[in-house]
Amino acid sequence: MRYNSLSDIRVIDLTHHIAGPYATRMLAEMGAEVIKVEPPWGEGARRRGPTRDGTGDACADRGALFAFLNTNKLGVTLDLRRARAREMLLAMLEGADLLFENFAPGTLQKLVGLSPNDILARFPRLSIVSISNFGQDGPDRDAPINDLVLFARGGWTYPVGEPTREPLTPPGSLAQYVGGLFAAIGAMQALYARNFVLGCGQHVDVSLLEATVATMIYETVGFQYSGVARVRVGKRYAVGPFLIVTLACRDGYAGLHCVTDKQFESLCEMMGRPELVSDERFRTALLRMVNNDALLAIVEPFFLEHDRMFLYREGRKRKLPLVPIPSIAEVLEWEQLKARGYFETVRDPVLGEIRIPGAPLRLSSHRPEPTRPAPLLGEHNRLIFGERFGLDGAELSRLRQAGVI
Amino acid sequence: MSMTTHERLRVVDLSMGWAGPLVGAMLSEMGAEVIKIEDTRHFDWWRGSLSMGAPEEHPIERSAVFNSVNRGKLGVTLNLADPRGVEVLKRLAVTADVLIENYSVGVMERLGLSYRVLSALNPRLVMISMPSFGAEGPESDARGYGNTVEAMAGVTGLTGYHDGGQPYTLSNALGDPVGGLNGMFAVMVALHERERTGRGQWIELAQVEAAIPLMAEALLDYQLTGKIPPPHGNRHPRHAPHGIYRCAGEDNWIAVGVESEAQWRALLGVLGLERLAADPRFATAEARKRNEDALDDALSHAFASRETEEVARRLIRAGVPAGQVNSAPAVMADEQLQARGYFVPVERAIVGTHLYPGAVARFSQTPLETDRPAPLLGEHNRVVLREVLGMSDAEMEALESAGIIGTRPLG
Repeated sequence: MRYNSLSDIRVIDLTHHIAGPYATRMLAEMGAEVIKVEPPWGEGARRRGPTRDGTGDACADRGALFAFLNTNKLGVTLDLRRARAREMLLAMLEGADLLFENFAPGTLQKLVGLSPNDILARFPRLSIVSISNFGQDGPDRDAPINDLVLFARGGWTYPVGEPTREPLTPPGSLAQYVGGLFAAIGAMQALYARNFVLGCGQHVDVSLLEATVATMIYETVGFQYSGVARVRVGKRYAVGPFLIVTLACRDGYAGLHCVTDKQFESLCEMMGRPELVSDERFRTALLRMVNNDALLAIVEPFFLEHDRMFLYREGRKRKLPLVPIPSIAEVLEWEQLKARGYFETVRDPVLGEIRIPGAPLRLSSHRPEPTRPAPLLGEHNRLIFGERFGLDGAELSRLRQAGVI
Repeated sequence: MSMTTHERLRVVDLSMGWAGPLVGAMLSEMGAEVIKIEDTRHFDWWRGSLSMGAPEEHPIERSAVFNSVNRGKLGVTLNLADPRGVEVLKRLAVTADVLIENYSVGVMERLGLSYRVLSALNPRLVMISMPSFGAEGPESDARGYGNTVEAMAGVTGLTGYHDGGQPYTLSNALGDPVGGLNGMFAVMVALHERERTGRGQWIELAQVEAAIPLMAEALLDYQLTGKIPPPHGNRHPRHAPHGIYRCAGEDNWIAVGVESEAQWRALLGVLGLERLAADPRFATAEARKRNEDALDDALSHAFASRETEEVARRLIRAGVPAGQVNSAPAVMADEQLQARGYFVPVERAIVGTHLYPGAVARFSQTPLETDRPAPLLGEHNRVVLREVLGMSDAEMEALESAGIIGTRPLG
């Protein structure tokens, strides 16, 4: 989808990989003009998977994740090692509202020849959003990292998994996206501050490690309050006055979230065991914590005897949060999302038709337009450099031959 | 300087739990005046319950999580089951820029507080509703929380050990913070657009739809290959070694992920395992992936006697992506986070001073304000009703005696 709420905003996007492109994708989805600037050989994510042959890396123009993360953007190429390309970038910053970058700290200055402060001084309406692994300073600023390490260091991994086994990392690159969300919000806040308070832009420094830690309040703040650090407790989400647990059913797994007295009553009623509500072992939330094993021993066999969808329906009838844990294929075919028209089919020029997640928000005053596919490498060079900056065809071919674009 | 110095934003926050309140908390970090509305009978369930301790210990004021995501807000109670309470809420909404709610679908309508009603009173109002699975659709009646939203987005199904077994729920109820961050982004977008159009709007944000984009890679992998990707556990689909290994001491672990030949050589150097470089089982990246079980055995053996922090430091210096698997106290002691002053001390009545997560986005000119405490139940009833609505003491006393406002929990 593409809304037009931010149609007055222009973004110059120097980012690569996931966190940066996801942040600018959110702005593009809301109508900002996002010009993605890549080196003439393309940013790394173009060559990353998924691909049709399942090999993962090494595809010519784009892997599918690139195709998702860069929808609704315009694409130009510039080899910023060349003086002419740097001039062209600076020309693009004239009139831009936001510059996004997620190079290793210090690299932007080396590439552009200007520090963030110099850039801000030259383009007072512009804000710079820098996303990095650890932030723009600190002793580990330049340390190597990947998703596994980011999750581990940020505290997500330690409390997940079996107590007798190694901690279990969350899947995929979730923390990259969380960092991208903070960056997209930071960009909007910088625009707000510019428009209403400062009159000028500023530098926004977003650390992926800090974004990761920001979601761990149960652990970090909870630990200080209780003095007890969260540990791995297997199928249970945590030890507490509740039963939040992943349970085997006849045909897969279901997730149960039983916290309040009302939810406990619903659970007992659903199991056909209303007498458990007044059972001395389970009468209160605290008792249900103390006697959690006994409770689980009653709930587990019931789930094992039933199908996931039966449990989901019965839970819904009783306002009990209980879900069938879907595979990725089932998410794609989930009736609720189909009814809401959530997934959007995009005709990608390289991959063909793909179904991508739609916009999570719906605005009452808009009818969104269909998503535009991610740009081919340098697809909009002519549009941006030719039509907007007035370079003629001969000049563009010269720049192409010289490897500037 | 605050981001909202000149034009102070006012926010009415009816939400509970984590996702909705996070939106209000992030707006308060910008300097907005955020009025959190609770009911003395139905206070924010994230406070816990009255049965969690003796009344004189104020159990509902001792929730670490409530006290985290309601920082910087004003606390007001209103009985919305009473038309007089609804009337007060309407008067507040008329003065507000933003209204946040995450009730179950249909509740705002029943209270007579739908967007249609509120926007007629205040066309500049931006209202956000955050149903778990959407305001419409055949399953919009399903109750969602962070964990169940996370499951329905496909995250849980992919969280499991590489050698099989059951799926696991993440410990941070991911659906909640991701829903909240998307909500905050949406509100900022609507506020931006309001300056151009002069009008607010209603935002519907289905939390599960906010979480699904995080799984885009797996969704696309399945579409392109026709195969449902299995949980990879701590392993990587292509690279090895990529795992979590036990170090010396009690429950100490290190995460190491090698993605290049240079990193592989550096890892062997740090661990004194140079001899493995010549082992045909590990000679190439493909061979290492093929013989990953044997590789993990060798590495597990080598890490078992190492001190986690020390070996992590040495690996990082050698250019290998590595880090401790931090438990909560270790996260709080992390050198990088400390050097950047990430956690901020906040003093709050009843519980005292603790460290809370600070600002993730660091602004060079208008830093976010993260150091104001969460309100006690009904703490700012009188301040808000007097200063925002101009109520007299007599009016407020009448509301108090009618049980519309109060500071004593009745839940």
